[in-house]
Amino acid sequence: MVYPGGVRALEGVNLEVQEGEFLAILGLSGSGKSTLLRCINRLVDPTEGKAWIFGTEITALSGGDLRRLRRQMAMIFQQFNLVRRQSVLTNVLSGALGRTRLLPSLVVSFPQDERERAQASLDRVGLGDRGGSRADALSGGQQQRVAVARALMQAPRLILADEPVASLDPALRHSVMRHIEALNREEGLTVICSLHDIDLVERYATRMVALRDGRLVWEGRAGDFDRDTFREIYGEDAEPASNTGF
Amino acid sequence: MSGLNTSSESITWRKAVIRLQATAIDAALVTMLLLMGELLVVAFSGRRGPTGLLFSAEQILDLLHYAWASVAGISLALIWNLLYRRLGASPGRVLVIGVPEWERNLEWTHTLRGWFAVIFIEFTFFAGWLITELDLLTLLTKFTKAADIVRGLMHPSGAVLHEGLVLLVQTIFLAFMATAFAIPVAFVLAFPSARNLTRGSAVARFAYTVSRTLMNFVRAVEPLVWALIFISWVGIGPFAGVLALWVHSVAALTKLYSEQIESIDTGPMDAITATGASTLQVLRYGVVPQVIPPFLSFTIYRWDINVRMSTIIGFVGGGGIGYILKPRVDLGEWGEVGTLVLLIAATVWLMDIISAKIRERIV
Repeated sequence: MVYPGGVRALEGVNLEVQEGEFLAILGLSGSGKSTLLRCINRLVDPTEGKAWIFGTEITALSGGDLRRLRRQMAMIFQQFNLVRRQSVLTNVLSGALGRTRLLPSLVVSFPQDERERAQASLDRVGLGDRGGSRADALSGGQQQRVAVARALMQAPRLILADEPVASLDPALRHSVMRHIEALNREEGLTVICSLHDIDLVERYATRMVALRDGRLVWEGRAGDFDRDTFREIYGEDAEPASNTGF
Repeated sequence: MSGLNTSSESITWRKAVIRLQATAIDAALVTMLLLMGELLVVAFSGRRGPTGLLFSAEQILDLLHYAWASVAGISLALIWNLLYRRLGASPGRVLVIGVPEWERNLEWTHTLRGWFAVIFIEFTFFAGWLITELDLLTLLTKFTKAADIVRGLMHPSGAVLHEGLVLLVQTIFLAFMATAFAIPVAFVLAFPSARNLTRGSAVARFAYTVSRTLMNFVRAVEPLVWALIFISWVGIGPFAGVLALWVHSVAALTKLYSEQIESIDTGPMDAITATGASTLQVLRYGVVPQVIPPFLSFTIYRWDINVRMSTIIGFVGGGGIGYILKPRVDLGEWGEVGTLVLLIAATVWLMDIISAKIRERIV
C-alpha cells in the first residue's frame, strides 16, 4: 500500500484471520495498523495486493457489491467519528444505513423495528437512557460506547477496531474493551483490533500480529508475546540513542 | 549554485520558465512606468488640445504611445534580466525567485530596484491624481451647490412616505425571495463544487471544474448587470430584480457553502462509509449535519447583502424602492429623496441588527 506522495505504509503483509478470532494488531504509531484495517474494508484502496473477506475478494469489488460486503464489517475508530450534532440514537441508527431504503433514510426516518434494535444496542452498552442526547454532549468513553452500539446495530460478522481506546482515559479503557470482547465471546463475531498497549493485547486478544514499518514482524498466540519480545522488536526504535555510537 | 550543472532537462526547462516569468513581470512594470512618465510629461508641459484648452485626462491617455512603450519596456526588461549580476536583481526576479543573498543587506538607495520602486510608486500617485481628476480646490470651495440637497435630506418630505413604505415592503420581499430560492440551488451545487468530495472519479472532477468555473463567472458579473439582462428578458419590475439577485446569490452561496464543506472533519464520513451506506447517505449523515449551522449563518449574511442590493436594483428598473428614488434624484426633488434615503437607511440598519443577532445565536 503506497499513499499518494509516496509514503509506503504496508509492504508484503500476508495475514489470515479465522472466523471467531480476536486478533490484535500491535505496532507503534505509523507502523501501518490503521492502513491495514482500512484496506480490509477499502476505506483506502491498496495499490497492490488482494484481500478476501468471507471468501469474496473485496479488492476486486466496486459500487453496490462493495457496499454489500462492507455491511458485514463494522468499524470502530480511535476518534469515535460520531456525527457530533446528531442525537445518540440517530448515530446508532446510522449503523443500519446499509440495509435501509434510500429515500426514508435521507429524511432520517427508520422503521420501528430498527428503532427498537437501536435502543436495544444502546441498552447493551449501558447508555439506554441517553438516546435523546446530542452525541457531543457525552464523555469520550460514552461516545466510544455509542460507536460500539453503532457497530452492533450493523449486525456485522466482523468488527474492525482501530485503536478503540487510545484516546480514552486509561481508567475507561476496559469499559470499552469489555464491550468489544463481549461481541467476540457472546455473538461469535470476529474482531480485528489494533492496539499499542501490550497489557490490553494480553488481556483481550486470542492471537496477535506485530507490525513494524509496514511489515509483519511477529505472529502468534497473544500470551506468547512477552515484554522481552516487545523490546526485541521495538527496542531499537525506543532507544535510538544507544545505537548512535556505532 | 554548484548543483545546477548536473540538472536534468526538466530542471533546465523549469529555469527557463522562471526566467520568462521574471522578465514578463519586469516588462509589464517598466512599460507602466514609461507610460506614466509620458502621461506626466504631457500633463505638465501645458500643451493645448484641439479645443484650445489644456488636454483632459482622457485626451492624454488617448495620446500615449502604448506600442513604443511596450517595445521599450520589453527591451529594458530583457537587458535588466540579462545583466542582473551587474544591475542587481530586477523586481520581477525578486518576486519570482527572491532577493539574492549578496543584496540582502544593501540599502534601497544602493540598488536600481530600490530607485525603480520609489519612482514607480510616486508616478502611480501623480498619474492617479491626474487620471481621476482629483480637485481639492473645488471640493473645498463649491460646497454651496450641494447645500440644497443636504437641506432636502434634513427636511424629508411626506409626499412620498406612503409610496416609499409600500415599495419598501416590495424591496424586503424582493431580497427575501431571491435569497430563499437561492438556498436549494446553492445547496445542491455546493457538493460538486467541494474539492474534498470530488477527488473520486473523472466525472466528479469534471463536475467540480464545470461548477466552479460557471459560479466564478456568474459571481464576477455584478447584480446590476444581471438586472439589465433580466429586464430585457422578463421586462421592467421586481421580478427582474429577484432574478438578478437570485443568480448572484446562487453563485455566492455556492462558493461559501462549498468552502465550508471543504473544511469538515472527514472522520464521520469514513464511519458512515464503513457501514456500507451509499454516497447520498454518506453525504446526508457524514457531511450535512456538520455544515448546517455555518450554512444558516452564511444565508442570513447573504439576505443582509440582498436587502442592501435590492434598494438600488430599482435604479436600473429592477423594482423596489430604488425605482422611485432614481427619477426624484434626476428631478432634484431633494426633500422626497431625503425621505426615501432615510427609509432605506432605517431598513438596512434594522436588517443588520436582526441578522447579527440571529447569527450570534446560531454560531
